[in-house]
Amino acid sequence: MLNDLVALINKNVPGANAILNQAPDAKLDSSITVEATSIFKVCEYLKTNSEKPFNALQCISGVDYMERMEVCYMLAHFDVNDVREFILKVILTDRVNPTVDSIVSLYPAANYQERECWDMFGVTFRNHPDHRRILCPDDWEGFPLRKDYVAQKNYNGMEVYPDNKMNFEDREFIVRQDLIKKAQTAAATKA
Amino acid sequence: MQTHWDVGEPDAPTINKDTEQLKTELLRLNMGPQHPATHGVLRIEIWTDSEIVAHAIPHLGYLHRCMEKHSENLDFRGVIPFVDRLDYLASMSMEWTYAMTVEKMLGTEVPRRAELLRILTGELQRIGSHLMAFGTYALDLGAFSPFLYAFEEREKILRLFEEVSGARLLYNYIWIGGVWNDWTDDQLARVSTFCDTMEEEAKKYHDLVSMNKIFVERTANVGVLSIQDCFDYGATGPVLRGSGYKWDLRKNKPYSLYNEFDFDVPVGIGEVGQVGDCWNRYIVRMKEVIESIKIIRQVIDKLEPGPIMGKVPKIIKLPAGEVYVRAECPRGELGFHMVAQADAKTPYRLKVKSPCFTNVSLLPHIAPGQMIADFVATVGSIDIVLGEVDR
Repeated sequence: MLNDLVALINKNVPGANAILNQAPDAKLDSSITVEATSIFKVCEYLKTNSEKPFNALQCISGVDYMERMEVCYMLAHFDVNDVREFILKVILTDRVNPTVDSIVSLYPAANYQERECWDMFGVTFRNHPDHRRILCPDDWEGFPLRKDYVAQKNYNGMEVYPDNKMNFEDREFIVRQDLIKKAQTAAATKA
Repeated sequence: MQTHWDVGEPDAPTINKDTEQLKTELLRLNMGPQHPATHGVLRIEIWTDSEIVAHAIPHLGYLHRCMEKHSENLDFRGVIPFVDRLDYLASMSMEWTYAMTVEKMLGTEVPRRAELLRILTGELQRIGSHLMAFGTYALDLGAFSPFLYAFEEREKILRLFEEVSGARLLYNYIWIGGVWNDWTDDQLARVSTFCDTMEEEAKKYHDLVSMNKIFVERTANVGVLSIQDCFDYGATGPVLRGSGYKWDLRKNKPYSLYNEFDFDVPVGIGEVGQVGDCWNRYIVRMKEVIESIKIIRQVIDKLEPGPIMGKVPKIIKLPAGEVYVRAECPRGELGFHMVAQADAKTPYRLKVKSPCFTNVSLLPHIAPGQMIADFVATVGSIDIVLGEVDR
């Protein structure tokens, strides 16, 4: 089904450059990658076309791969006779300041989802009507779900990451040991 | 029993019409974070023109624990207790969906008895969650006794869950590959008895609340959502079905063994008020309780002795790639977007698509033009759990 969809997108949205990421087996999901600059036009086409419309945006999920940032859009069609859903992706190579067009005017559901993606990953959504943080406080620093995130030391006079409460020894089995070491050295230099 | 009240046409919103010339400066009112009607720690900033809501702006995050970040540091089994704490009123459904996600990537086959036990617990949990929704909704609207009736029945479910899993609310019962513990015949017999009493109780609730004149006046024709609104805002579950769209993943995209079961998908048909209002969303939940009882009875008939745990490696490592798995939970469709990397013992990324989060985004859309008291009724009818909204 995704093969047809890739052909349809490439035919109807010039410059979308849609590519199918075929999953090796049924255990994994396939997805479609499009150019970041054309995401609005692709979504506009997917929502309004008559052949294979997608009427609902389920969620927007960012993934940080260290060298690049991906934003995944889970689109679905709620039709009793023809259930379809797929993952649409854009790849953002600028990891410091990732920017992509907002699709709120097409899917109002994207409003909160894009705000969450901004809050957690620092992806800026161009033309978003209400571009604020949603889960963290407005004056929070950093983007928690980025892989290189280290929580700030102080927030409004409160200690966020108290050294005496960090049980470094017990947490050594944790995978991200490098980050813990970083926090340890930072604590040591501060003391 | 009276089945229809004539409540007439809905009043047109008064703002921006006749009262436009009377409009003065808007007054800001904070509903929450500690407010009985918000079912947790949700703060809604309401701008009112006298009694009428002009804007409602939800402020989320008071219960934010960044569970998605935590799970990146835990092995795949260790995530389950964290998933429990998302929707703490429907923990079984949460862990079931998570287990399905990992099982899909592993390619595990779950034994038949385990699948049936999962359906049994999932449906019992659905009843428990809807009873809670029923009780607190009546409480929001000023009726105290339905809350106590609902808790009496819910307690029986929690007792059963406590016996099989050891915990009352946060179970860690459904594991990757199957379930942790088997149910005894005695416990299953008690489930059957519970089904019988629950059916009787549901009739009582119907007489006591659903067709109560005051309740109908408070909820009918209030907070009407069209099907298009639900699609636009990604609303699912009882909210979508209350608007009259017959959509249930258990029927439309059957997972587990749901295609073997015979049950209906109740939708709002506007017996009272109009389709898509608070009353219809409420009655969909109450009808779903009856459907769940039907499913549970069929499960008990089908159950046969057998293994309850499939073959799962001791250390779980998933193939590199991603999946998006969704399932029908009491409050709507829950989805997990899992990204795994080769040879990693932890998820690389776990995104939770929470039904309540998307349903909250509807509030700024329905609120304008409502009375404040009606807005309280609307928030209650959406049935949010803040543990899941804020994650």
